[in-house]
Amino acid sequence: MTKVLTVRDLTIGWGGEPLLEEIAFDVERGEVFAILGGSGCGKSTLLRHLIGLARPMAGSVHLHGLGSPQQALEPPQFGVLFQSSALFGSMTLLQNIALPLSKWTDLPREAVEVVALARLQLVGLLPFAHHLPAEVSGGMKKRAGIARALALDSSLLFLDEPSAGLDPITASELDDLILTLSRNLGVTIVLVTHELASILRVADQCIVLDRAARGIIARGDPRDLRDRSPDPRVHAFFHRQSQRHDR
Amino acid sequence: MSEVAATPPATPTTAARTLALTGRLTLSEGAPLWAQLQRALADQTTTIDLTTVTHLDGGAAALLNATLQQARQSNHTIHILGASPDVQRLLDLYSCPPGVTCERPAPKEPTALADIGDSAYDVWQQCKAIFAFVGDVCAGLLRAFRRPRTIHFADLPALMEKAGADGLPIVAVINFLVGLILGLQGAIQLHRFGADPFLANLVGLSVVRELGPLMTAILVAGRTGAAYAAELGTMTVNEEVDALRTLGQDPQRFLVFPRVLALALVVPLLTAVADIVGCLGGLFIGMSYLEQPAIAYLQFLQSAVQPGDVLTGLLKSSAFAVLIGLVACQRGLSTRGGAAGVGASTTSAVVIVLFGLVGLDTLFTWVFSLLGW
Ligand SMILES: Nc1ncnc2c1ncn2[C@@H]1O[C@H](COP(=O)(O)OP(=O)(O)OP(=O)(O)O)[C@@H](O)[C@H]1O
Ligand SMILES: [Mg+2]
Repeated sequence: MTKVLTVRDLTIGWGGEPLLEEIAFDVERGEVFAILGGSGCGKSTLLRHLIGLARPMAGSVHLHGLGSPQQALEPPQFGVLFQSSALFGSMTLLQNIALPLSKWTDLPREAVEVVALARLQLVGLLPFAHHLPAEVSGGMKKRAGIARALALDSSLLFLDEPSAGLDPITASELDDLILTLSRNLGVTIVLVTHELASILRVADQCIVLDRAARGIIARGDPRDLRDRSPDPRVHAFFHRQSQRHDR
Repeated sequence: MSEVAATPPATPTTAARTLALTGRLTLSEGAPLWAQLQRALADQTTTIDLTTVTHLDGGAAALLNATLQQARQSNHTIHILGASPDVQRLLDLYSCPPGVTCERPAPKEPTALADIGDSAYDVWQQCKAIFAFVGDVCAGLLRAFRRPRTIHFADLPALMEKAGADGLPIVAVINFLVGLILGLQGAIQLHRFGADPFLANLVGLSVVRELGPLMTAILVAGRTGAAYAAELGTMTVNEEVDALRTLGQDPQRFLVFPRVLALALVVPLLTAVADIVGCLGGLFIGMSYLEQPAIAYLQFLQSAVQPGDVLTGLLKSSAFAVLIGLVACQRGLSTRGGAAGVGASTTSAVVIVLFGLVGLDTLFTWVFSLLGW
């Protein structure tokens, strides 16, 4: 297997205050890699560093064949879904998705529209192509964000809580899509999620972050971690138990 | 996407009415693929052969499917041949699922006439909304008077500092320059008639009665009015205003009253400063250009500008302040849409305030002249 992403000795934080220290992991081509952990432990912050939007306090992120994440931005070599979807409010959903297509492919206008509409159809938003983000629901914004992340058929995707705010059926369709992308197209997917069912179904590898430990407390196949992790924090995470009484 | 360059692009081997595609079909090679597909459509091709296609990505699948659909719409069928399971899986993923209508939605494209009508109607609606808002605020004010503690006074000092102290430098500089320019233009004319001493009358009365209040209000509208509209607009878009309501906080008492009050307290003070520095601008010209002694200018100023003049100016400025506060808050709270909506309501707040200031000033001048003030 070939590595796509390597993280070494990464220390990250806000305003000089470290949040996670000495993080190290690799992501292999074609795998679904999940970043897990409690709310506020720094998953989204880690993702910001993986895509080069924030400067690490120490350590490095390396995209193989591309260099640093900043070097892979023009043209963008990866697709990103932000936790808040981050759709452009003054553009329709269709225009949101067409933007990278018209900028970074030489497709004629009508073909750009064909591809953008196909992405919207994929996430079930075709009837809302000409709506503004403010005119659709939260879950629909999320799906439109996913469609935009897929726009350029990148071989690497970063998705921050893609199934948050979706009903179970739509969420499971999203899992199908993630599996198809990874199994049929060899797309590498780095995923932040809280949905246990989804983690166990789609993720090949995972890391579990912990705020108190300021780092990775477990790594490996999520099904193994669920069944065999000796760490009480990991056990609690996978079995939905409160730790309040243990402390 | 990154490894595309290593493999040769798909090449067509067109037998009779068959389009054979080979190799990797990807979005980055989408333009030639789309051209081939459109040509095939025009040539009434019946079959697309994918036997030697090794890789198909989502974008290419979308283009293929769109071509098949276009063919179907013009009543001819194109068959797909020899797709490998992986390729077929992608084609299925991007094809229309059964039981779903995959018609392209029509974009909303307004005509020019409808646009003009809409914007005229918008102006009318905005005016109505502002008057309704003023009515609401007056009614709310009565209720708030009975229970003054429900007003959110905690923000008041910070709001006054931002609108007042922080705005002082620009108000002082601009009004000094206004006094200077007015003084110079006036001095040139007055000097020709030997009427040098009247410089103090000209500058003093113009600045204190008209220019001081108006210039200050315009500056406050641009600085603080725009900021209020943008802040409340963003809060509205982010549902923070709705959240306030659910927490039992009336947005009027929490957001509007403190802002309007802050402006009403601070703008007259800024205007007083503007009056003083404006007259100093005139003094500077009197001393330098007309070579008057300072004491002479000040004596003429004292006899020309009566306390009543200053008071009418300050009265006007408090009315301007209330106008700025109310319009900015109303525009902010009626924001719709996302970031673009915030921009639109900020713009309209400043524009409406500027119109309102001129209108109000005219009204005041008229009323004061009737009253003989
Ligand atoms: N813009 C910011 N400025 C300063 N600190 C921040 C900022 N954003 C986040 N933080 C801090 O970083 C920590 C981690 O935030 P982050 O958004 O990465 O959490 P998360 O793991 O993604 O949580 P969630 O699952 O709730 O999305 C938070 O505890 C917060 O205190
Ligand atoms: Mg997060």
